Amino acid sequence: MANPSWGMVIDNDKCTGCNACVIACQSENNIPINEEDHFTQRRPIQWIRIERYWEGEFPNVKARFIPVLCQHCADAPCEPVCPVYATYHNDQGLNVQVYNRCIGTRFCANGCPYQVRHFNFWEPEWPDSLENQLNPDVTVRTRGIMEKCTFCVQRIQRTKRESEKNNTSIKDGDRQLNPACVNGCATDALVFGDFNNPESKVSKMKKKELGHGGHGDHSDHDGHKEHDEKRGYHLLEEYGTHPSVVYLKKVDYESKTVEKH
Amino acid sequence: MIPGDFQFSKPPKNKLILLGVLGSIGFIVFAVIALIATFHISSWIDKPIVFAGEAPDQPIEFPHTIHVQELGLDCTFCHTNVTKGASASIPAVNLCMSCHTQLGDGSTEIEKLREIHAKKDVIQWTRVHRMPDHVRFIHEAHVKRFSGTRLVVEKITDSTNQIRLTEAKTIKAGAKIGETLDIAASGTCSICHGDVSKMHKVEQVRTLKMSDCVDCHRENDAPTDCTTCHY
Ligand code: SF4
Ligand code: SF4
Repeated sequence: MANPSWGMVIDNDKCTGCNACVIACQSENNIPINEEDHFTQRRPIQWIRIERYWEGEFPNVKARFIPVLCQHCADAPCEPVCPVYATYHNDQGLNVQVYNRCIGTRFCANGCPYQVRHFNFWEPEWPDSLENQLNPDVTVRTRGIMEKCTFCVQRIQRTKRESEKNNTSIKDGDRQLNPACVNGCATDALVFGDFNNPESKVSKMKKKELGHGGHGDHSDHDGHKEHDEKRGYHLLEEYGTHPSVVYLKKVDYESKTVEKH
Repeated sequence: MIPGDFQFSKPPKNKLILLGVLGSIGFIVFAVIALIATFHISSWIDKPIVFAGEAPDQPIEFPHTIHVQELGLDCTFCHTNVTKGASASIPAVNLCMSCHTQLGDGSTEIEKLREIHAKKDVIQWTRVHRMPDHVRFIHEAHVKRFSGTRLVVEKITDSTNQIRLTEAKTIKAGAKIGETLDIAASGTCSICHGDVSKMHKVEQVRTLKMSDCVDCHRENDAPTDCTTCHY
């Protein structure tokens, strides 16, 4: 069987901006609590964040949300700049961050156009009452190293192990496999799966909304522009990073147009 | 005699003593630095060859020799989680007490155990094998990989039913290539932990450094992607 190519489809139309995914990620991945101070210094750690845009003038103002997480780009700008190979692409389409190899040069964060790489400027701290809820499957990163969304690789590895043990194949959309943010999303705005499996939900959505499915198939890249009903796009597509995350445009029913943010 | 040539004249006695003292201090400093450097360099490459220390003392002397070698208890009898999850798990005091309410009267170590049990306390064992925080070692997967009916081979071609001679030898001393071994879950422990049944105090036998892990993974056809262990 071919290696999986993990990816995600994010439907901006369904996202309500509730931030449940952010909290889910925060607690799954032992991310320290961001205080006001961290935000004013522009140094919060949020592996997934909700970007909020206002559209229109008051009182006809509309809020627009885009969940932004590591795009696990196939041509990632962060990978070649790392002097110690602490970030690389593995055979499952994941952009991997190896914490114990990272020496904290922050080159990768400067290279990332999506601003999803976060540096630990401080030793992570939790209130005593929260120390016991740290996830034992995830490393607690120390000061001085880079971190970012891993597509919850600990969950992928666990599911893989379980399926090998029980001689079953990995089920598409399995809650054991799904990243914390996907499980946390109440509106199913986030969908996770294997782009190498044409039967998976993400492949079907990608094919329907982007005009081409499957891994590495970027031939029909501009095809969707002609068809209004196709909502798929990549974030900052023009940089040619070939992300593994597909976004679906918001549908504005009032103006009856499809808008791309 | 050439004028201006170096003329050796015996230094006065107090100067000699001073030189001697300085020399000895210098030598001691040098020796200490050399020892520390040896410790660091050797423990970086392999196990430390100086200050290596013995197996740590435990709060209760638990002889694996008696429990495993003489009584023939299976490793999984106490370390129940080893076939089910990441950590091998240390048994609860209650499991010890299922025998030791009756057995072992008069031994000071067992009295300590009973006292802890009466206080509803836990035994604060000293950990012997510890992986760094950024390493995920899953006992279950490793036990599964080495147990079952396995053919002893020189080089792995099918990881589902073969075992390398190097590993097979730690399980059965006289293993030979071409032999088929029936390996129980508890048979696999010795590959990394050594023959614990012969240890009065448990000590670490392998370095358990990353090179140790990766070499074994390479030779056994196991994944060597970083995310196998680091996440
Ligand atoms: S949980 Fe779902 S709906 Fe809520 S902000 Fe995240 S993506 Fe949007
Ligand atoms: S996939 Fe996992 S690590 Fe990435 S944003 Fe979602 S919860 Fe966080």
